[in-house]
Amino acid sequence: MTTTAWSWRPAAPLLPLLPALALLPLLLVLPGLIHGGGWELVAQFAAAAITPSLDPLLLRTALAGLGITVGIALLGWALSLALGLVGGVLSSRIVWRTWLGVAWPASAIRRFLAVPRSIHELLWGLLLLQLLGLKPAVAVLAIAIPYAALVARVVSDLLDALPTAPLQALRSGGAPAGAALLTALGPALLPGAFSYGGYRLECALRSATLLGVFGLGGLGTELRLSLQSLQFHELWTGLWLLLAVMLSLEALLRALRHRWGMPSRFKLTTAGVGRSGRELLLALLGLLPVLVLVAMALEISPAQLLAWQPLPPLQANWPAVLALPWAALVATTLGLTLLAACLAVGVAPLLLLLVAPWPWGRLLLRAVWAMGRLWPPPLTALLLLFVLKPGVITAALALAFHNLGVLGRLLLEACEDTADQPGSGGAEVALSCSGCGPRLALLYGRFSGLARSYLAYGAYRADVILRETVVVGLVGAAGLGSLLLEALSSFAVDELIALIAVYALLTLLGEDLSDRVRQRLLSG
Amino acid sequence: MRSPFRLPALRRRKRSRVVLTGLALLLLLPALLPRAEAQQRLLRISAIPDQKPETLNRLYPLLANELSRSLGVPVRYVAVTDYTAAVSAFRRGDLDLVWFGALTGVQARLQKPGAKVIAQRDIDASFQSLFIANTASGIKPLRNQKGLTALMGKRFTFGSESSTSGRLMPQYYLGQAGVKLRHFAGGAPGFSGSHDATIALVQSGAYQAGVVNEEVWQSSLSSGRTDPKKVAVIWRTPGYPNYHWLAQPNLDQRFGRGFTTRLQSTFMNLNASNPRQAQILDLFGAKRFIPASQRQYDPIEKVGREIGKIR
Repeated sequence: MTTTAWSWRPAAPLLPLLPALALLPLLLVLPGLIHGGGWELVAQFAAAAITPSLDPLLLRTALAGLGITVGIALLGWALSLALGLVGGVLSSRIVWRTWLGVAWPASAIRRFLAVPRSIHELLWGLLLLQLLGLKPAVAVLAIAIPYAALVARVVSDLLDALPTAPLQALRSGGAPAGAALLTALGPALLPGAFSYGGYRLECALRSATLLGVFGLGGLGTELRLSLQSLQFHELWTGLWLLLAVMLSLEALLRALRHRWGMPSRFKLTTAGVGRSGRELLLALLGLLPVLVLVAMALEISPAQLLAWQPLPPLQANWPAVLALPWAALVATTLGLTLLAACLAVGVAPLLLLLVAPWPWGRLLLRAVWAMGRLWPPPLTALLLLFVLKPGVITAALALAFHNLGVLGRLLLEACEDTADQPGSGGAEVALSCSGCGPRLALLYGRFSGLARSYLAYGAYRADVILRETVVVGLVGAAGLGSLLLEALSSFAVDELIALIAVYALLTLLGEDLSDRVRQRLLSG
Repeated sequence: MRSPFRLPALRRRKRSRVVLTGLALLLLLPALLPRAEAQQRLLRISAIPDQKPETLNRLYPLLANELSRSLGVPVRYVAVTDYTAAVSAFRRGDLDLVWFGALTGVQARLQKPGAKVIAQRDIDASFQSLFIANTASGIKPLRNQKGLTALMGKRFTFGSESSTSGRLMPQYYLGQAGVKLRHFAGGAPGFSGSHDATIALVQSGAYQAGVVNEEVWQSSLSSGRTDPKKVAVIWRTPGYPNYHWLAQPNLDQRFGRGFTTRLQSTFMNLNASNPRQAQILDLFGAKRFIPASQRQYDPIEKVGREIGKIR
């Protein structure tokens, strides 16, 4: 792979390591944050990992909770894929241009879809909870709405990036617009769309757990209650079960991606053609009855969505809302995002380099990262509070740990995926054969090829982290998130509206920024 | 390359028919399921989750049985995971009878005009909170309310954000002594979520001090879960009205005339000489239930508005 050298830039393989510089100031302030009050609790927590409670009653509750969480994830994901595909086609420029000859409706729809996307699923969940009541359908919709908008964006990006020559050929051969679009773009879209769809399912499982932590049902609820009452043995029962489900889901999706020849997460932009389309379609068909059964088991029916209830009475006191320290709140939230993003993006390659010489190193990292993905950030935050003072840094650490889990796994997967492809994997082998140490071989042989796409994905992740700051409000003093929890428990609808608007605005700006960064990285 | 789009047209049409049928089934089937009409005759009771779920899960099914026996209607206990969710569910009419704290009860009543205060325990007319501290923190028992300033700069945790005894009244008394929330270590207090959690966190040293409801403290102490060598009471607040049962305004329409009154007398008649009822009263930490009125909670509403928990 070639890299263009920019005079002011360090060598490409070093780029992913730059954000890890955030570690230096962090290490300076961390000793001041440690209060050490609860080391005993942390030790108890760790010890409980090997002795989870096996009480049959508890196991049954945990399994039931897990079933609800998985069900919610599956339904929310399926709904978001269906809606997202439609939305994606509708917001694709090439589709509109072929159909009507103009592209502006695409941009308009795309802009409109940015709004549901900018609101975190937790906020959707809490909002829908007010409208629809405490039902699993709320969690399903809370996942489906923002996810559908995300899928729509990715699908439209994929569509617009496809080569247009086949389409033009078909059109000039006289094929009608619809048929030409389907024939020229459909098969080419499949691999990217389904690969991304698979990743969305993994995300949906994490989101469903998180929604549970905030009381929207499923295993997350049990996890939070056990952690809050310090019942670590019970907590680990749930965590282990969830881990088993998460890892098998990831392994299954990975196997399917390999089988169907689909790109890994970093390379979604490169077009390719998948294999075994018929099998894939059959698998999707097989999923439909499963979804129906899950919906029946969770007692979710479309009819529930019709029983709306008005929001609590709006007693707006806008001057008081305006008088809130918005600048400080926004600054805190942005600082939190930046720190968490730098840590997550920078530390993953750093750790990979550190453990490169040791064969068990990657295994260890895999385990740590799986834990990061497994634990919803608010739970990590609560755990951190046992030994750290509340505040922005504690919140950032919790967010960083979770996202490190996500990023680290993708990076490792990409490292291992490229091994069997000509070029990138060979460079590492060549370097180590010529006497390079394992760390240098990894750095120059592998990271140089991955640097740009990794950082581009990191920019997207920063965007996700900004949205996620809302969930660590539990640890206090964490910007908009803690104010949101307070506003919720006071039923201050005016504050809630203002907070959601500010969040939406921030994420839209952040998305725009991270888009620019990403485009620069990928085109450079 | 093999892709579904290159198969013969006929087979594609057939397949799309299968897809469409599947989709239609997906949309239709759940709608065809029997709707829960029985909900009309089911009394759904709940409680704010102020204690360990185990405690609540032991207590409320017993109470549900007792109510069902005395009122002759099916009664189900619905567990709720946080205070705010309990209030929202009550506003929406998803819960018929809820054991609220003073603050959540007022919030729920303001959002559901006409809701009826049914009863409180003998101990609820004048309830007290206890400020507790880890013995290693160096915080000594306070001589008076002004002494609360000793908590400035300490790691301090409340219970739930909407707890009357674990947050609202303690914050009010702290404010009277000149202690603001930003004066605690880290610039903010913690919110442990429940009274049991507050005790555990203060005992462990994760927080140096906290505030809990007296009833939970006593039961934690007598069950031996709390180690008096590690955590001690430093100040007792004045009394204020707390927990009460709140019922939906429409129970008489749904369950028959006089139902609310019968419900009320069921609580009044719970008697310690009946072994079944004695167990319930014991788990509630009360000798009996007494009548309660809406007006008792006016001071709570005032404090709630002052602190911003009621709009």
